[in-house]
Amino acid sequence: MSLGSKEVVVNGPKVSFEIFGLKITETVVLSWVVMAFIIGLVLFLTHNMSKTNPSKKQILAEWIVQTMNGMVKDSMGSRNLVYAPYMATIFSFSICGSLISVLGLRPVTGDFSVTLTWALMTFFMIQYAKIRNDGVLGYIVGFSKPIALLTPINVLSELATPVSMSIRHFGNVASGIVITQLLYYALTALSNAVGLHTFPLFTIGIPAVLSVYFDLFTGFMQAFIFTMLTMANVGAAYPEEE
Amino acid sequence: MNEYLSFLSIDYGTIILVLINTLILFLVIKHFLFGRVNKIIEERQADVSNTYAEADKSMAHAKELETNYNELLSNARDESAEIVKNATQKAQVRSDEIISNAKAEASGIISRANDDIEREKQRAMSEMKNEISGIAMMMAEKIIQKEINQKDHEALINDFIENVGDDVWQQK
Repeated sequence: MSLGSKEVVVNGPKVSFEIFGLKITETVVLSWVVMAFIIGLVLFLTHNMSKTNPSKKQILAEWIVQTMNGMVKDSMGSRNLVYAPYMATIFSFSICGSLISVLGLRPVTGDFSVTLTWALMTFFMIQYAKIRNDGVLGYIVGFSKPIALLTPINVLSELATPVSMSIRHFGNVASGIVITQLLYYALTALSNAVGLHTFPLFTIGIPAVLSVYFDLFTGFMQAFIFTMLTMANVGAAYPEEE
Repeated sequence: MNEYLSFLSIDYGTIILVLINTLILFLVIKHFLFGRVNKIIEERQADVSNTYAEADKSMAHAKELETNYNELLSNARDESAEIVKNATQKAQVRSDEIISNAKAEASGIISRANDDIEREKQRAMSEMKNEISGIAMMMAEKIIQKEINQKDHEALINDFIENVGDDVWQQK
């Protein structure tokens, strides 16, 4: 892309370093940062917990756990309560991975490999839940229902779930990256046009307003949607016994 | 020069590392956040239910004690009523006894007095008989002017006095 004389470049994740030929990208490094943050937060919140006299951070930890348990119980049924920690993991990883862009870093979720990984995990969890619910034979036969003619469509729809989930999440965050980048270029060009070559005035403030939508709102929304879809799909594959 | 992956890329290395990262984060969250918090919440719930159970037990105990005390109280009331009744009865019996004793004593005194009176009367009568027989003897002596042989005529005089009898002396 080119805007005036300047080339507009929107890159993928940078390769930070290589170990034994394995390319460690910016995404992975930042995911370690995010992990360290979440693990630190978890250890801080659950440090020195008391049964009778909970501190404010303990109340927050209990609120998080109970809210997560409540959501999982509501959307998946109480026999799927074991999934609650996983949902909390995906939600916190996704939201922190998106919100890291507030610090001016590349969002972890803006890498298709990341959202694809999570979507594949969801996919395999759905298949496992279905097999657990219907048995191996029932699982296979289940694709030819209600009529055998629909088998290819059933398989396709099954495969579509992780694809749509991963692309939705990636697309929302990535579009934020692209638009922020474009806006930055545009505002710089505007600053140049009014003669502020040395100091691009318009790049201050305006991107921050948009970042509230693209980083905060989208980051939260997509984490929520991804987690809810995982819960709904896995819960539907292994429903509450009647 | 920095190396970049393409904007929309699937990088297997990233996938594997993110998978591992996600699993590590999952284990940490499961163990440290959910494990610890759920344990605390369970312990607290156990405490609460224990407290409730204790309270129920105490309540039952209190109820039991209350019924016991009520029973004891009513027993005591019955007992006191019994005691009062017994005392009243005993007092009645005692007073009856005293009264009857007094009556018996009084009647004894009266009968003794009657006996005394009787004895006095007899004594007086026999004295009077002797006096009268003496007087009669003297009168007869004066009348017939001779000495009456007391020995000979005693039977006669006695007969006389007997004949005069109680009716004459007692003046009924």
